[in-house]
Amino acid sequence: MSQYARLKVFSILYGVIYTGAFLYSETCQCAWFRYYPVLGTFSRHPLPLAEAGLPINWYSWLLIGFLGAAVGAVATPSKLAERIPHSWVWGVAAATLVVIMVYERRWFY
Amino acid sequence: MIQLLLILHVVVGAALLGALTHQAFAVAKRPAAPSKSFVGRFTGVNSPTFTNVVCLLYATSVVIGALLYPRYRIDVRPLLEDMQLRAANGLFETKEHFAAVGLGLLPAYWLFWRQPLAHEHASTRKYMTWILAFTAWFNFLVGELLNNIRGMFP
Repeated sequence: MSQYARLKVFSILYGVIYTGAFLYSETCQCAWFRYYPVLGTFSRHPLPLAEAGLPINWYSWLLIGFLGAAVGAVATPSKLAERIPHSWVWGVAAATLVVIMVYERRWFY
Repeated sequence: MIQLLLILHVVVGAALLGALTHQAFAVAKRPAAPSKSFVGRFTGVNSPTFTNVVCLLYATSVVIGALLYPRYRIDVRPLLEDMQLRAANGLFETKEHFAAVGLGLLPAYWLFWRQPLAHEHASTRKYMTWILAFTAWFNFLVGELLNNIRGMFP
């Protein structure tokens, strides 16, 4: 377990960072980058809706989650990583799913 | 190409469901002795053998889904909006988040299912497997619903 304990940190951080990036993006209507499927191009800046259509922000949340979790996992000392309770891994993932469901209930009213 | 990816997405999703459902039932209850009943055999599988396959299938499914997403945005989402099916849009939004959370859980899932299995990690393995199975089932059913939505809501 010890040599791979950082994988545990990665999984915990990934869920938190992904959800944080998503909620922040929704709140400020911003994204690190967007993909415009109509134009077939990525853009750092929002493009006019009439010409570019609706963007996809999901790719940016995935990348932010991956990079943030990878950096966090590498930066965490292995002894600290080992001491993190195992229940945090599934507990954080379950909590993340609940937060997402609560936020996305807006579509059902 | 899109049709091929869509079929592949369904096939990979179905295989993932098979592997994860077996494992999810097997971690719920371990029979004391080999059973001859269907349920007993279903839950009595050797769970660790599914781990690498689950990781591979889950990641593949998310990658194929990511490749299909632009087409969904161009072809399906406007249709749902025209049909005023807000809930269907919401289900898809939830599906994409569940896929992302499940993808992030895979490294820890792989870690805790590594051989030899540590007895003290049994509950962690169980809950992680259940979470992955829940997201896989939800995403598969939502995907099928959206794929057939024109026929269901003419």
